[in-house]
Amino acid sequence: MIRPLTAKRLASVSGLLAALLVLVILVSLKLGAVPVSMVDLATNLGRIVIGQADHLPSEQSLIIREIRLPRILLGVIVGAALSVAGAGFQALLRNPLADPYVLGVSSGAALGAIISLVAAPRVPVAMPIAAFAGALATITAVYFLGRRGGELDSHTLLLAGIISASFLSAVIMFLMTTLSGGELRGIAFWLMGDLTSTRTPLDAGWLFLLLVLAVGAIYTTAADLNLLLTGEQEAMHLGVDVSRVKLVVYVSASLLTGLAVSISGAIGYVGLIVPHVMRLLFGSDHRMLIPASALGGAIAIVIADTLARTLVAPTELPVGAMTAMAGAPMFIYLLRRRFG
Amino acid sequence: MREAHSIPPVRWSVRCILVAATMLGSVWAQQTSPAPAPPQPAPAKIDIIDEAGRHLTVPANVRRIVSLAPNLTETIYALGAQDRLVGVTDFCDFPPEAKQKTKVGGGVNPSVEQIVALKPDLVLAAKSMNRKETVEALEQLGIPVYGTAPVTVEDVIQSVRRIGEAIGAREAGDSLSASLRARLDALKEKLAARTPRRALFVVWVDPLITIGRQTFLADALRLAGAESVVDLPQEWPRIGLEEVVKLQPEYLIFADSHSDGADLASARARELAERPGWRGLDAVRERRIAVISDAVNRPAPRLIDAIEQLARLLHPDAFVEKTADAKEKTQSRLTPANADAMPAAYPPVSGFPFPLPAGGGI
Amino acid sequence: MSTPPGASAVTSGAASAVKLASGPRLLVEQASYAYAADADEAPLFTLEATSLRANRGELAAILGPNASGKSTLLKLISGVLKPLSGRVQLDGVEVSTLDPRTRAQRIALVQQESQLLFPIRVWEYVLQGRHPYGRPMRFETESDFEIAQEALEQVKALHLRERWLHQVSGGEKQRVILARALAQQPLLLLLDEPTLHLDIGAQVDLLRELRRLASDRGYTIVVVTHELNLAAQFSDHVMLMHRGKCLRVGAAPDVYQRELLEQVFGAALDVESGAGGRPRVIART
Repeated sequence: MIRPLTAKRLASVSGLLAALLVLVILVSLKLGAVPVSMVDLATNLGRIVIGQADHLPSEQSLIIREIRLPRILLGVIVGAALSVAGAGFQALLRNPLADPYVLGVSSGAALGAIISLVAAPRVPVAMPIAAFAGALATITAVYFLGRRGGELDSHTLLLAGIISASFLSAVIMFLMTTLSGGELRGIAFWLMGDLTSTRTPLDAGWLFLLLVLAVGAIYTTAADLNLLLTGEQEAMHLGVDVSRVKLVVYVSASLLTGLAVSISGAIGYVGLIVPHVMRLLFGSDHRMLIPASALGGAIAIVIADTLARTLVAPTELPVGAMTAMAGAPMFIYLLRRRFG
Repeated sequence: MREAHSIPPVRWSVRCILVAATMLGSVWAQQTSPAPAPPQPAPAKIDIIDEAGRHLTVPANVRRIVSLAPNLTETIYALGAQDRLVGVTDFCDFPPEAKQKTKVGGGVNPSVEQIVALKPDLVLAAKSMNRKETVEALEQLGIPVYGTAPVTVEDVIQSVRRIGEAIGAREAGDSLSASLRARLDALKEKLAARTPRRALFVVWVDPLITIGRQTFLADALRLAGAESVVDLPQEWPRIGLEEVVKLQPEYLIFADSHSDGADLASARARELAERPGWRGLDAVRERRIAVISDAVNRPAPRLIDAIEQLARLLHPDAFVEKTADAKEKTQSRLTPANADAMPAAYPPVSGFPFPLPAGGGI
Repeated sequence: MSTPPGASAVTSGAASAVKLASGPRLLVEQASYAYAADADEAPLFTLEATSLRANRGELAAILGPNASGKSTLLKLISGVLKPLSGRVQLDGVEVSTLDPRTRAQRIALVQQESQLLFPIRVWEYVLQGRHPYGRPMRFETESDFEIAQEALEQVKALHLRERWLHQVSGGEKQRVILARALAQQPLLLLLDEPTLHLDIGAQVDLLRELRRLASDRGYTIVVVTHELNLAAQFSDHVMLMHRGKCLRVGAAPDVYQRELLEQVFGAALDVESGAGGRPRVIART
């Protein structure tokens, strides 16, 4: 049955995923180290929505409003950013194994962030900028290293990514030895993927705006990306401005990676697995894949963060550990399932 | 031919995004405005400065305390304020009763929600264990956090006094710190004429990690009549074994949490004698190994016990005379490998603010 | 469908009346090219001044051994490269000056496809040929679907439309790729070594298909190949290339001279006259 992509189908899938996200958020608000009853949750949310947030004196509401909710919303941003960046890299590099973490882009962003923390600790906005710069520099290096005979070669690219990631990790570790105990501990924890930092580099509203802008920019190239998948030359002959598309997607995906890393450190596997799963469910058309990945990534991170908070409560695990534990087996499964 | 589908899909996505953004925006707007305190008689508050130089406002009457580090938990028990302690970390194991308290998670990654649920008036944090992020998160929620950061043993004693002040146990804090200081002064007298032993404090055998000069451990060593052969700026420097062989320390010092058996030190010596490289150390060959309580790792009152213990091991001849009120025997763990060189009975280590747990193990 | 694909509104109706009045559809006149030398890539390569003409409904074959300049010439014709000298025009317009979108609406290039790492269905793949006609941020229209469908029908591959592209056979895949090119509704169809991985049956099928498309539907087709006999059998013009130079261009019997072929291919060859006056080349033992 030919099921072409139409606006209606896109809207219904997006709506479905958005509804699922809201559901996951609600469940996540309820769960945690401290038990919260459904009634409390409902009253809290109700009061927030009708704008009476001030009238909630109990500790439970404090927990819901000021601890869980911001964390969940940051998780939404991080999940969406990483997944769309992953989808973008996969399309541009024509490699289903590409994601910001595998390509070393996350490590580059983390290194940028750490350098800015060490060099300019009083300037909070320096961190996401440095993270973005680190991400951009890394993907540029990996892109050039990943060529063979002038053409992007799948395996060489992956190798370049892995090597960059380990090199950058080594540099990060070196830098960390120069730090004193307190900062070191904080950064080490952050590096594993941590959504608990309440000190976001920018106001959350700005973060969300950046997310929307970058995802939007990539979305404008969605139809072109579909063609790029069949080959750069082929796409060019079909009228795609390949250089422009590459530029837009690389810069936007790096921005998204820098954004996510500056919020929560290096979380892996999300940018790899989520687009894959969305592709399996909804097809490879990027006009559907991009929004689906954004919503799917948000759902995945919220679930991972909830698990991180509840599995061995009250101890909190790093979110990156959760995504790795779930992501690695899924990755192996996908590898084996690959068509052909 | 039918007209092309002219509703651009982007409009749908934009709609969804706008709706979501509005919702998020309203939620966020609620949060940026701080929740006003519920109406109640304003409790008395005092302003203090913690050991990291931060200004705090704590209630004059602190009723509920959460400790985020094991040494702070110990200190609270030492000050007699344990009834007011409502939350501890997973690693707060001394005294054993502390393990019964409600846990809030690890030191590095506690559950902020759990802490909040315990409604503490004050949270105690240690720079050596807790993260800045945790402290900031708690403060943003209106919970004052008292931070400790002792670098010398004197700092530890001061810390005990100041914590006492912060939690409203000023008398206990003053008296405990005074008695600890008195013991240190007595120790200083006893060791006055002695040359410090050249020692290496081994934090970890493989890789070989020792202590840096800026730690309270190095200070503790000095007060016990020893001197670390290694003088490095990092907190936990990793050094090469050949460096140690070149330096040939007189004593090797280990800290151990287990306390069974008198020949812990000889066991250690035997084990090290098997290792290549370590064999070349005079201290290993001649069994000059001191194993002391792991209280030496914690900046808490028990640190003084560990210092005294170490002093006895390194300068046994300074402690020959007995004191009048020998109440408690010291534990068998104090026996070094060369037990025959030691006098038969030890003078008691006096002045414990709380009873030693049965079965040894300071 | 009333309007046959491959013919824009202007030429379809006026085709019979205005056939050759304005000159050949494809005009390559003294076009040359030189690649910049790369340190460790192949050395400097030139395509010397070359000329070729093809009309509506004609099929031209470019022949020659490897590194004879065939691909470069094809790139010049497709407008991807700008000639150093001379001109390459399609219906009187210099192809390298066209913007990519318009060019994609007029010229379709069928290449050997690169490795496909993502699953895509045949109909989706063919539908991509409509991209040059789409507006950004819009989905495909009903007419796009119909055109794609018809392109598949033209190559007799409609039954494959639900299949995954990586699961169809070599010959079938070649036809699907051709269908995508047809979906672009081009005036000019270029194929670069389309017979490379096909067995002889599939090769014949493909060339026959191309011939039919040219004659019945009015496409102008240029095929780069080194299948001498197929080229001779199905094409109107043949160009023989050797080391960047066009040695001869014209009808097959004129070009397939024994000495010429032996010089170009470096093998002992004989030329026979086959059915319909078409020459046939065989190895001399």
